[in-house]
Amino acid sequence: MKWVGVIGVVAVALLTWGFWWGEPAVKQPIEYPHKTHVEQLKLPCTGCHQRAEKDNVAGRPPTALCLACHAGGETKSEEVKKIRAFGEKGQEIPWKRVWRLPSHVFFSHRTHVAVANVKCQTCHGPMETLARPPARPLKTLAMNNCIGCHEQWERPNEKGAGVVKTGARHVSTDCNTCHH
Amino acid sequence: MALWGMVIDLDRCTGCQACVVACKAENNVPPVGAKEAVRGRIISWMQVLTEEDEEHDGEVKRFVPRPCLQCDDPPCTKVCPVYATYRNPEGIVAQIYARCIGCRFCMAACPYNAKYFNWHRYQKEAPGQNPDVSLRPKGVVEKCTFCHHRLQKARERALAERRELAPGEYVTACAEVCPARAIVFGDLSDPGSEVHRLARSPRAFRLLEALGTKPKVIYLSEGEGRG
Repeated sequence: MKWVGVIGVVAVALLTWGFWWGEPAVKQPIEYPHKTHVEQLKLPCTGCHQRAEKDNVAGRPPTALCLACHAGGETKSEEVKKIRAFGEKGQEIPWKRVWRLPSHVFFSHRTHVAVANVKCQTCHGPMETLARPPARPLKTLAMNNCIGCHEQWERPNEKGAGVVKTGARHVSTDCNTCHH
Repeated sequence: MALWGMVIDLDRCTGCQACVVACKAENNVPPVGAKEAVRGRIISWMQVLTEEDEEHDGEVKRFVPRPCLQCDDPPCTKVCPVYATYRNPEGIVAQIYARCIGCRFCMAACPYNAKYFNWHRYQKEAPGQNPDVSLRPKGVVEKCTFCHHRLQKARERALAERRELAPGEYVTACAEVCPARAIVFGDLSDPGSEVHRLARSPRAFRLLEALGTKPKVIYLSEGEGRG
């Protein structure tokens, strides 16, 4: 009888494990399909995430940017109607943030996107395959993801073919480079 | 490779404490509250120490602003069991909060009392804090970092503009705010920099020089003009 109780407690603990310890799912205001935009229409990531090339954060697109394409014509899509409703009210789409680094990490998208030419997918995973917004980050990033790259960093050669091994002066593994 | 250092001219310092306030605002240094303060747990990365005049009772002879001295041969890093504090290639004695286990060996080792311990979680995230500096959790040691988050930002900017870091692009909050220009910050290894020149002044001295810690915060003693 005692064992039944123990097994019951363990079972409940295991069942609620994900509930307590998993990151809460993020629900976006609009069911945005990355697949349609990136895979089919071949739009670059930085077309909508415009701050990635000039800022620390990549940013989420403003309403006006969506309406640049979705403003005109008839639409059957409920989601496009939602965008237009936000536009008519003059509101920004309240996108929720999915990717978060800990507050003690300094990370610049500009350095990685514009200077080092790292593909977005390297950290963010195959976002172009998603037909709906991700509820959670596709990859769980740990410090090893950063260090692994920084220790053996090769970048495309700007002057010709092949790759260039970048010296430690540019790609540092010093703790102070990213921690504050 | 730069070697970041600071020169503090005691002849210019008026003891106004602007550096103390600027440092606290810049680095989200927490107010610990009255109860903690009574226990001697005030956190202040930059402190203006005072020296009394022996001949004239109750008079202050000199003010000595004391940040972490960023020793080139730091005693604190030698005793850290987890590499949470170490001297980085550019001479900044780093303090990595995420690694710190709160053993406080480094505090015991520091001859300048420049390290502070978070006995509690003294603050939560709130508007008005500097987003470039993380809030320290409970149970970690903190100290002046030469505002290295400013170096991170300056270096990021230089990298994006594909140029070298310009002199003067990275200065600490205390050096920037000092109204008497007593605090000069820069690259000690650059022969053209002001800190390089001042560090070689005949007035230059270092705190507790005999210990051999080789501080990179260099003081200039008062001139002849003080009676």
